[in-house]
Amino acid sequence: MIKHIKNRLNLFLILSLSLLILNCNKSGSGKAGNSDNEIQKINITMIAKSSKNPVFQSAHEGAEQAAEDLSDKYSKIDVTIDWKTPLNENINDQVDSIHNAVNEGTDAILISCSDRKILTESINQAVDKGIPVMTFDSDVPESKRFAFYGSDDNEIGTRLLEKLAELIDGKGQIALLGGNQDAPNLQNRISGIKKAAENFPEIQIVGEFYHPETSEDAAATFLQVNAKYPDLKGWAMVGGWPFFDETLLDKVEPGKQQIVVVDALPEQLPYIEKGIIQMCLGQPTFTWGEISVKQIVDHIAFKKEIEPIKNMNLIQVTSANLGGWARQLRAWGFKGLTRHFLTM
Amino acid sequence: MGIKKTHVTAEKDRISWAEKIAYGLGNTVNNLLGGAIGYMSIVLNVGLGIDPVLIGSLQALPRFTDALTDPVMGYLSDNTRSRFGRRRPYIFVGAILVGITFALMWQLKPGLSQMFYFWYFLIFSIVFYLFYTMFATPYVALGYELTSDYHERTRLMGVQNFMGQFAWICLPWLYAFMENDRLFTDAVQGARVLAVVIGGVVIVLGIIPAILVKERYVAPEVDKKEKQSALKGMSENIAAFFKGLVLTLKRKEFLKLCIGTFFLFNGIQLVGAFSSYITIFYVCGGDTGMGAKYMGLFGTINTLSTLAAIAFITWISSFIGKRKAFMLATSATLLGSLLKWFCYDPMAPWKVLLPAPLIAIGMGGLFTLMGSMIADVCDLDELETGERREGIFGAIYWWMVKLGLSLAFALSGFLLKWTGYDIIFVGAQSAETFIKMRIVDVVVPATACIIAIVAVYRYKLTEEKSIEIRKTLDLRHVELKEVVAS
Repeated sequence: MIKHIKNRLNLFLILSLSLLILNCNKSGSGKAGNSDNEIQKINITMIAKSSKNPVFQSAHEGAEQAAEDLSDKYSKIDVTIDWKTPLNENINDQVDSIHNAVNEGTDAILISCSDRKILTESINQAVDKGIPVMTFDSDVPESKRFAFYGSDDNEIGTRLLEKLAELIDGKGQIALLGGNQDAPNLQNRISGIKKAAENFPEIQIVGEFYHPETSEDAAATFLQVNAKYPDLKGWAMVGGWPFFDETLLDKVEPGKQQIVVVDALPEQLPYIEKGIIQMCLGQPTFTWGEISVKQIVDHIAFKKEIEPIKNMNLIQVTSANLGGWARQLRAWGFKGLTRHFLTM
Repeated sequence: MGIKKTHVTAEKDRISWAEKIAYGLGNTVNNLLGGAIGYMSIVLNVGLGIDPVLIGSLQALPRFTDALTDPVMGYLSDNTRSRFGRRRPYIFVGAILVGITFALMWQLKPGLSQMFYFWYFLIFSIVFYLFYTMFATPYVALGYELTSDYHERTRLMGVQNFMGQFAWICLPWLYAFMENDRLFTDAVQGARVLAVVIGGVVIVLGIIPAILVKERYVAPEVDKKEKQSALKGMSENIAAFFKGLVLTLKRKEFLKLCIGTFFLFNGIQLVGAFSSYITIFYVCGGDTGMGAKYMGLFGTINTLSTLAAIAFITWISSFIGKRKAFMLATSATLLGSLLKWFCYDPMAPWKVLLPAPLIAIGMGGLFTLMGSMIADVCDLDELETGERREGIFGAIYWWMVKLGLSLAFALSGFLLKWTGYDIIFVGAQSAETFIKMRIVDVVVPATACIIAIVAVYRYKLTEEKSIEIRKTLDLRHVELKEVVAS
């Protein structure tokens, strides 16, 4: 009797499982069944502004990491990054890199633009030849690029001013440090600051101060303005140039002025620790490469619709999270971080 | 602590290796079912777009039905009298039904509404857990009554726990399997196929204990008559059920074991997420690839150490007794938990691996010793009530474990919020947040270990006392047989 029941049950089980497996195979035979076994190679040419700049080195690491992850995850995709970034910022070199990439048959271009006008033309030529182009960090919105990933500069300016206003109780004289006056992204940040300042009638902007983007020139400008305006309560800096070396470490009295800065590179960390800089807005530069490469692959391989503009979240860095930020910078490929900060 | 073997298992009380393994296969199924649904649930969000809050409800709601079905199933099994036994019919039918339900509940296709998925999965989950209870409760109870020997029980539970670990080795790979684009178009299709495979494995392995394990419990004739008459009235059954439930919950030695398990198991589970966050964001500074590598290595070392710990604890308990073995194993976990404080070093990430073997010892010992100790409590219970109620003891014990696990997951979210963790900051969390996370990660399991040790320290069923109870029961059974025969 038991044997009979067992036989019946076995038959029932085999039939049930066969039906279920058949059902699964039937419903799942779409994409996988149609695709051939060839591996799709995706070569992305990455053109940043300067290969000497650590923020772009970090972006490069992010791109390589994403390429590796995607190639591991999808058996039919092999993503490679072709790093064609000039040593120093140079518009002509960027133009040449775009043309060479197109001639060499690249599958996509990822670029941070040093110039709007000239590069718009080059990008459009590449797109016309069938090469998709994506921008990061510095955009050329008038071009035919399919997407941009980076920060919203107006928003950065607003955040800087709001934070500074909080630190100085919404009143007093402040100065703006602007770097290169011709750089469109920096101009957007300045205009964001000025617009946000309209909400704080007791804050007086004594001026916008521009300078060549070297730490020496920036530090000199900073000291000159401080000498000229002894009652200055704070600074909003759209870049961290004065703190890219140790020049000011012993020349500025901590806490005398409230300073908020865009970027939080390893060189700036001692200034935050000492209380000279109250807050930085750190850019997760690793994600410039990481997220952009993923978007390009989604666009090319999976034909997904990509948002034309994806804004990057900036990370607030203060003395409270200095250690965490230092470790995060190391994870993003930045060098020169001391044990002191890494173990905080 | 004298290392001296005090008791030798009689030949009649020994269980063959084949039978132990056959029984242990049931635990592979038990763990596979318990873990697979959690590991596969990610598909509900990633593949089908169900809101994580709804997924949380899907996992929490069946706990309420469990609260009723688990003890009812325990009572039902305890009071079943059939020619196949009182456990095996349920295990056999339960394994088949739960395997089929598991396969069906994942047969979802993209493109339908979120609420459709929610109700489909919720209804199937409730049915699934009902059949899961039908399989697991009698299965657990069967283990408590397979042998009446004090040490053979521990060896049986050791094999059972050891075999259950194979499920935990496989479970972390389920998502990778579903996501494999060489096999499937997407994770949803992967889940459909995987569910059928798991359902098949559950059926095949799950019926083995029912077929190959022999039930030892033989109800005395007097008892059988009583049970048959009791079935006449439903109200009598309900009254007997609640009476039994109250008696079980009043059994102090059982409660001590429940407290020990509740705190040790859930204390470790509660901080599982914290350990991952600290490893990824503090030790590895937000490098998710590196963090995942160390978490993977930690898991592998932990699993291998658990397997070794089960063998060690099973062996050592025959020399020092179950209570002391439990305290020894839990002390190792306490030490491992405290060691974590010193091993989270961003300059040397490999140190995160050091506490893994120590933490594993307590977890390896826990379900090996507890199963064996509950069987001893069932003897004490029989001595005082005259009934064998392994089913209800097992049901309440495991429901408490499951409930604790749900609470631990919920509390884990609150604690993470309390630390000030904010995903926007990735690795750049504040120093205060990291300190709070590390405190929770160390203090919660360490405190839980101490409570577990104290609870079991007060457990009074020593080896001598258990053997004494067993002798009295054996004598009583002989007398009862003589009475029935005369």
